[in-house]
Amino acid sequence: MSVIGHVAVNVFKESVRDKVLYNLVGFATLLIVVSYLLGQLTAGQDVKIIKDLGLAAIATFGLLIAVFIGIGLVWKEVERRSIYSLLSKPMRRDEFILGKYVGLALTLFVNVAIMTAAFYVVLAYMDTQFPDAVRASWPAPATDPGMLRAIALIFFELLLVTAIALFFSTFSSPFLSAALTVGLWVIGHFNRDLRNFEAVVKSRTAAYLARGLYYVLPNFSAFDIKTQVVHALPVPASYVVSTAAYALVYMALLLAAAVAIFSRRDFK
Amino acid sequence: MDAIRTEALTKDYRVGFWRPRRYLALDSLTLHVRQGEVFGFLGPNGAGKTTTLKLLMQLIYPSSGRAEILGRPVGDVSVKRRLGYLAENPYFYDYLTAEELLQYFAGLFGYSAVERRRRVSQLLDEVGIGAERRLQLRRFSKGMLQRVGIAQAVINDPDVVFFDEPMSGLDPLGRREIRELILRLRDRGCTVFFSSHVLSDAETLCSRVAILAGGRLAAAGDLSEMLAFQARAWELVVTGLSDTVLEKVTTSGQVVRATPLGAQRYALELPLSAAPDRLVTNLVAHGAQLVSLNPIRETLEDFFVRQTGAAPRDRGLEPVAR
Amino acid sequence: MNARLAALFIVLMGAVVGLQALHETSGGPPASTTANMLYVRSPEAMTRFALSYDALLADLYWIRAVQHYGRTKLSSDPNKQYDLLYPLLDLTTSLDPRFNVAYAFGSIFLAEPPPGGPGRPDLAVALLEKGLRAQPLKWEFAQSIGFVHYWWRQNYDEAAAWFARAAAFPNAPSWMGPLAATTLAQGGRRESSRMLWRQVARDAEGEWFRNEAVRRLWQLDAMDEIDRLRRVLALFQRSVGRPASGWEDLRRAGYLRGTPVDPTGAPYRLQSGIVSLDPASPLNPLPTEPARLR
Repeated sequence: MSVIGHVAVNVFKESVRDKVLYNLVGFATLLIVVSYLLGQLTAGQDVKIIKDLGLAAIATFGLLIAVFIGIGLVWKEVERRSIYSLLSKPMRRDEFILGKYVGLALTLFVNVAIMTAAFYVVLAYMDTQFPDAVRASWPAPATDPGMLRAIALIFFELLLVTAIALFFSTFSSPFLSAALTVGLWVIGHFNRDLRNFEAVVKSRTAAYLARGLYYVLPNFSAFDIKTQVVHALPVPASYVVSTAAYALVYMALLLAAAVAIFSRRDFK
Repeated sequence: MDAIRTEALTKDYRVGFWRPRRYLALDSLTLHVRQGEVFGFLGPNGAGKTTTLKLLMQLIYPSSGRAEILGRPVGDVSVKRRLGYLAENPYFYDYLTAEELLQYFAGLFGYSAVERRRRVSQLLDEVGIGAERRLQLRRFSKGMLQRVGIAQAVINDPDVVFFDEPMSGLDPLGRREIRELILRLRDRGCTVFFSSHVLSDAETLCSRVAILAGGRLAAAGDLSEMLAFQARAWELVVTGLSDTVLEKVTTSGQVVRATPLGAQRYALELPLSAAPDRLVTNLVAHGAQLVSLNPIRETLEDFFVRQTGAAPRDRGLEPVAR
Repeated sequence: MNARLAALFIVLMGAVVGLQALHETSGGPPASTTANMLYVRSPEAMTRFALSYDALLADLYWIRAVQHYGRTKLSSDPNKQYDLLYPLLDLTTSLDPRFNVAYAFGSIFLAEPPPGGPGRPDLAVALLEKGLRAQPLKWEFAQSIGFVHYWWRQNYDEAAAWFARAAAFPNAPSWMGPLAATTLAQGGRRESSRMLWRQVARDAEGEWFRNEAVRRLWQLDAMDEIDRLRRVLALFQRSVGRPASGWEDLRRAGYLRGTPVDPTGAPYRLQSGIVSLDPASPLNPLPTEPARLR
């Protein structure tokens, strides 16, 4: 196993030991409680609401993990000086950064996979609670595998968020990194509005600036196809692929920048 | 080929945000350490010892100058494969057990799983960690962590090891064990480079030392040749010494000064020229008991004060504790 | 930073921008129906679920209502629907019956015909009547109902009846009685319309209300101006014997000082003897006037 692999496995071990996977209990409880409550309040939209909620919860829990572990990954090693011993081992600093990244990506993958499984179990149960006539009126079956496309894009979004958090954590404090990461995430969700900004403002400079930011800032709104899959609207495979490619390229850019900064750092 | 070689190695920091000032942490250090020797890197706190070690580990980058280990520039992965490093007051992942930590580090050297297990268990035995090896490191005492730190530094049978204050935080027994370990490493042909602010650590171990003060090299060479550290007198502590005997040895000039410590208990200062064994035999024959016999010499601090005229200076700032 | 690293950054940044551009040309993500989804449409149910957060939820629904209106108005969809506007305002005012700005917003924008609004004066009246049930002393609601009848339905008798009812409220302003009388006597005249919109502008709680009222007042001014220009054109034709080919003719003949412009600064258009607003003027389209006025 390579150096990157060893560092990654250690990150995964840390997140498990630090009880990060407890969030899965929270996720499952949320889904079960809400589906029970909906049964009591029956609004006729139960399965749709469970789908909306489940997808949103997968994205939110994943985001929390990506940000709050991502910002501490490098900072904690430097602050507690455990990095001194680690970097004296035969490893380069870029291997350290990539190993940390792969480790958190692995943690996120396991998390998202377990949440997805729980999500489909709840939906399969909900499916048994409705007569065939009601089921026929749904735009998609309760356990529609098409939702995996949305989950896949959520995972790619999380990979990008992690890269941002890791990038900031190579040179700033956790609090600042968290604020910057969440800030970028929020701005990234307003990406489409940046595109249309010139329709709203008079100033040409502001319009050009908005247009520039539209191209340069991470476009998180592109990853959100939750509503589309819940309504079983067509989402072409090419869209999923090009968006995933976008995430991977952006990620590579951030990791290269993180490595460039980290490789020049003095650990005082 | 030297094991470690630095040429005019310099590190300065800019401190202060509004009015940056230069803080010279290490000022053109030139040092050659031969292969297979135990080299003591001495100096009071804040002298630049840790800075030097960090430069050699490439945890920080030099402002100017060069450093080589085993003939290759520092930071080279092929060199890192052959060295070990124990940081000052080391911290390790507290969620891992001692065993897991060493397994992790051993993995970084590319050992097979079987080899990793063998090495880790052997090393933990060697540094005296028994059943505790299955405990998470958060439950380890400082001394235990220091042992884990030493184990991780030698996990790859290194050709050169760097210990930053390896004795700090250890009880006398622990210090002795570390000393023995360093000597075993030396016997294996390993070069040991260790820093300390306590001279006696160096005396028992080193052939050569370098002394750092205020970021500058103050002295370097064979310990035995460094007059500054040769004993200037002996101190003999005895009990059961009767007043008449004391009177006799004092007036005969065999004892320069006698300091009472308690009832019939004295610290006697003997001139270096006199062989203390004769006096000891004499006193014991008169019913006194020997408590200890030690050479009296300058401490490192005394030496620095004499060498530099004052505490570290000339760096623009008071040194900060690190 | 060395050159290879800089080159790597440039290549990766280029790829990011390229993929984003590709994204844009392929039309972004597939269309979704987010905007047109409302889980709970029943105000009773929502008031029950709201626990102690009803005021806060009212604020959220209010924000959604404004956003829904604004986003639909700005969208380029030829068949845009404002179908959530009423349910959202209904939820807002059920959660917080004193959310007066929501009633006012509804009274103006629910009745506006497409594409500027859903064109539902009935819903505007329903919302205001609900407000009146919640706050029976609020004469403004009665006045607003009269206003909807007056402006959007051109039903001046009904409008006058509501103005008269508003005038009977204990704290109604003194001009309310005369307004009722004027409406009954000369409903649809620009002067009474102007009076109404001035009232809206004066009471406006938000900038966009005031802007809307000002725009309406400018429309009325523009209509007056267009009438005056028509008279000038007729005069010109009578004295010169041919229709004016452009404003320049009128200026040379001394009828005008320059090219006439509407209150927003856009020049009026004169084409084959007919005066109209510039197509780019924000005052378009002018309100239709009932036949009996001309």
